[in-house]
Amino acid sequence: MQNNADSIYSIEIDDLYKHYRIYKDKGRELKERLLFFWRNKYTKNKVIDGISLKIKKGEAVGFVGHNGCGKSTLLKMLSRIIYPDKGVITTRGKISGLIELGAGFHPDMTGRENIYNNASIFGLTKKEIDERLDKIIEFSGLGEFIDAPVRTYSSGMYMRLGFSVAINVDAEILLIDEILAVGDGEFQAKCMKALRDVKARGTTIVIVSHSLSQIEEICEKSYWINDGRIMMEGEPKEVHNAYLSATVQN
Amino acid sequence: MQNSNTENKGATVKRTGQKEGFVQTLKEIWSYREMIASFVRRDLRGRYKGSVLGFLWTFINPLLQLMVYTVVFTVILPSGIEDYPIHLFVALIPWIFFSSSVNGGATSILAYKDMVKKIYFPREVLPIATVTTNFVNMLLCFIVVFGVAFVNGYIPTAGVHFIALLWLIPLFIIEYVLSLGVAFLAAAVTVYFRDMEHILGIFVMAMQFLTPVLYNFDQINSEAAKTLLNLNPMSPIIQGYRNVIYNQQIPQNLMWLLYSFIVGLAVLIVGWFVFEKLKRRFAEEL
Repeated sequence: MQNNADSIYSIEIDDLYKHYRIYKDKGRELKERLLFFWRNKYTKNKVIDGISLKIKKGEAVGFVGHNGCGKSTLLKMLSRIIYPDKGVITTRGKISGLIELGAGFHPDMTGRENIYNNASIFGLTKKEIDERLDKIIEFSGLGEFIDAPVRTYSSGMYMRLGFSVAINVDAEILLIDEILAVGDGEFQAKCMKALRDVKARGTTIVIVSHSLSQIEEICEKSYWINDGRIMMEGEPKEVHNAYLSATVQN
Repeated sequence: MQNSNTENKGATVKRTGQKEGFVQTLKEIWSYREMIASFVRRDLRGRYKGSVLGFLWTFINPLLQLMVYTVVFTVILPSGIEDYPIHLFVALIPWIFFSSSVNGGATSILAYKDMVKKIYFPREVLPIATVTTNFVNMLLCFIVVFGVAFVNGYIPTAGVHFIALLWLIPLFIIEYVLSLGVAFLAAAVTVYFRDMEHILGIFVMAMQFLTPVLYNFDQINSEAAKTLLNLNPMSPIIQGYRNVIYNQQIPQNLMWLLYSFIVGLAVLIVGWFVFEKLKRRFAEEL
């Protein structure tokens, strides 16, 4: 087990399969299921069809592909929101996600109180949040507004607070799903800089995005996912060019 | 300024089609204890609006129930029980803890479905937080119960009564275990069957009548009915509370109380396993 922990890979995915159940007309209630039991038939919709890959510690990789190709499902399996049907995912280290910023924010509580709410959802203890509090407040740039109720925040301020909590969790693996598509230019630039800093500290980063340029900016490797399989992997620019030309042809 | 605390949390996690280990899940829930605390704080604060008056306001519901039942069982259908309001009060408050844990537990996953679909956290946190909130609420209500009992002359005088009061601690534990078990079951099943919430409402009501909340256990004449009542694990618990505060003596039904504890543990184990099995598809089913 010791060797295992010292592995140079922070994520290993081995022969992964996942399908969703698509119900024709599914009863949500016991009543419906009992009265109309024949309606509970479903078809299997394959989303991940045999993916294997390894991501080294400190590496930043991007997943690209058209909508419904399975890249977000892959990310959800990495974060343990959904579980694979077959195959093994091994992750080493604490995982944090920039997936839903500001989850658990309570509008009537202040920014400071919501830092505790939000950071606790990432599995930090009170002591750990105390240690990070100053850093989080400073990064958010909210200044005196940190003690105002969150309902008085603009959507930009809300996002800034959410982002600065998530980035200061100090996870070993950071999962990002389309998060950088929001916010103004200045905020995006700040996020990108923060991501580069986090990466420089040795955090493994996985990004799912339609913004190919953002992936090229941060990642040294890109995976093109199509129909639940890896079509191509390698240097981001090359992969993206192949992906784009394939998209244009269709 | 190094992040010293994150090291031991960065455990290797393998996930396959199989379930995670029990110890691993427990450890993880423990590391998310601040999330549970934060949910409990927020929920209580939301209920009480952060003030004592706000707390008293939430007390209006049990108080109105108390008044209705008191009128029914002292004026319309006299029960002949001395100090009926107190007799009822000491049972009603713990009963409300159980019933609101079941009803709240049932909707605990559904209520946070957006979070469950998008963010990872141990799903057990939600029913645990719901039951704990209701538990803390009961403790606060007990302060009022003691106040009322005290004013009505139920004053702890002899040493025996203090020992009896210590029995509240095992009673709290037994009821918490049972409530948590039922809440796990209810939470997991309600994700799949949305109308379970209403079915559970009827179930809880039936269970209340099979628990000596409104009446006294000793009023029952039929031996068969007594046995039936005792088989309901909430029944010995409620009698225990009543013995301790109203009768000022230690619980008189210790064997049945032990039975309640065993049933509670069994329900918790079953509830846990059902939850562990069903939680894996929560994000897809919601």
